[in-house]
Amino acid sequence: MPDHKEASARGEADLMHFPAPGFDVREYARNAAASHRDDLGLDTYRSNPLGAEALRIIRYLQVIERATMTHLRSVLVTATHKDARITAFLTTWAFEKYWIADAFEQISLAHRPEGTDVDRAPFITPSERTIRESIVANIIGVPMIAVHMTLGTIDTWLSQAAYRRLIALEPNAQLQKTIQTFLALKERQLEFFEAQSRYRLTESKQARAITRRRLKRIPWPIGAKAEPREETHFFFERLFGSARDLVAELDARIDTLPGQSGLSLIRKAAHQ
Amino acid sequence: MAFDIDKYTSTSKKVVWGDLDFGSFETNPLPQSTLRSLRYMADVEYHTVCYLRDLLVTPSHKEADVSAFMTMWNREEFWHGEALSAVLAAHGVTLDFDQLKATRLKLGWKDRLDPIKQSLLGNIVGKDFIAVHMIWGAANEWSAVAAYNRMADLEQHPVLAELLRRIAKQEARHVAFYATQARDRLAKSKKAQVLARFALKNAWGPVGSSIMEPAEVNHVMGHIFAGEEGLREIRKLDEHISRMPGLDGLTIVETSMKKYGITAGAPLAA
Repeated sequence: MPDHKEASARGEADLMHFPAPGFDVREYARNAAASHRDDLGLDTYRSNPLGAEALRIIRYLQVIERATMTHLRSVLVTATHKDARITAFLTTWAFEKYWIADAFEQISLAHRPEGTDVDRAPFITPSERTIRESIVANIIGVPMIAVHMTLGTIDTWLSQAAYRRLIALEPNAQLQKTIQTFLALKERQLEFFEAQSRYRLTESKQARAITRRRLKRIPWPIGAKAEPREETHFFFERLFGSARDLVAELDARIDTLPGQSGLSLIRKAAHQ
Repeated sequence: MAFDIDKYTSTSKKVVWGDLDFGSFETNPLPQSTLRSLRYMADVEYHTVCYLRDLLVTPSHKEADVSAFMTMWNREEFWHGEALSAVLAAHGVTLDFDQLKATRLKLGWKDRLDPIKQSLLGNIVGKDFIAVHMIWGAANEWSAVAAYNRMADLEQHPVLAELLRRIAKQEARHVAFYATQARDRLAKSKKAQVLARFALKNAWGPVGSSIMEPAEVNHVMGHIFAGEEGLREIRKLDEHISRMPGLDGLTIVETSMKKYGITAGAPLAA
């Protein structure tokens, strides 16, 4: 049995008694951000192109954003999919991520000769572990929701930091504008993930232990497996190589999640 | 004709109903039996995310086009759920996220095992399994289009009819994707044809029958597909399916409807 429920009929005094009470999932679904194509100002890149390193990062960001469906797969095979409020959120979140990935792809394409075909190659996804994962995750049950919400939280923090570094290193006005839009979207997504994560970790000792175990084993950022190792290496090196304080700051933020202190996840990921 | 995935994704919208006069449900409310069917349909639409999961554990999700489609499709279906539950709410019937959760919890172990089964099958069979998903999806979406349009005709309620036709229009775009994919993949592989035939013949049931109580399936299918008109619709669905490469002669819809006792009233003509 779940150790708490997403009650809707509780009184206001009890409002904190379900995760992310302040987040209106229906409102989020209603206002989801769709295609960014009309606002990307792609023409400006013709006269003011991005550097090769920024483009390599953008391609990487595109791949990890579009790996959403693969991530969603491992989320949905667990108890997490039972919670209709969470699946409503994830449905919308996947939609927003699709369009962020699309925007990155459009920016890449704007730097290539006109008429270049988009990349339709099959995704690289490790599928052989799904069965085992699904069995194990189902035995664990409800505490897996805490794992997934925490993954979402940390991954969003990492994306936000990466986006900010990208525009700090590449002061292109149009790119700045686009990235600011994405940062705002990530901020809203984070609101849900973080509130869910903190609530669930606070509520259950088992959730804290399982989350801690799982976090250690995850390759960061989520979706990294969809790319060769050297691309992930480049991602960390380029964005955080000269900004070690940011890595420490991210790890310090992770330390504030109940039961997750001292993991140094980002430092370890950056050193691989 | 090829399905233009870019065109589809860039025009994928949530269904809107804000412009429709829902106040008319107060003066001209829908009968209980219709609300019961709408409740079923809303549940099934919200449940799409669970089907999505079953698709994702197979090789299907690796294809960029399929993945793009699934993202939009899943969201559109969620909004169909929202639209239908708004109609229910106008009649004082609330369908909140907790109730949906209860439906999902009731599925218990079956629901836990489904993705494992799918994953095993999908990964053993490999690429040809995608064809099975695509024809399965096509069959379901064809049924949905028929069901929404038929209900719009039956109810003769202008606001409901308009909403259902808007939903059906989106479902028709889903049909286009699934049917194009299924046709191509079946045409290319004999093995895919054999698999698809086997799967449809042995495992297909009316949309929602795997998650809803048999009594509810019975009510909805009877409501929508009973009578001579209904039978004509059922046979049209079977025609669509049996026109696919390697699937000629299949009558899965009529057969499964018979199982639920849905007939034209008189014994069905052979």
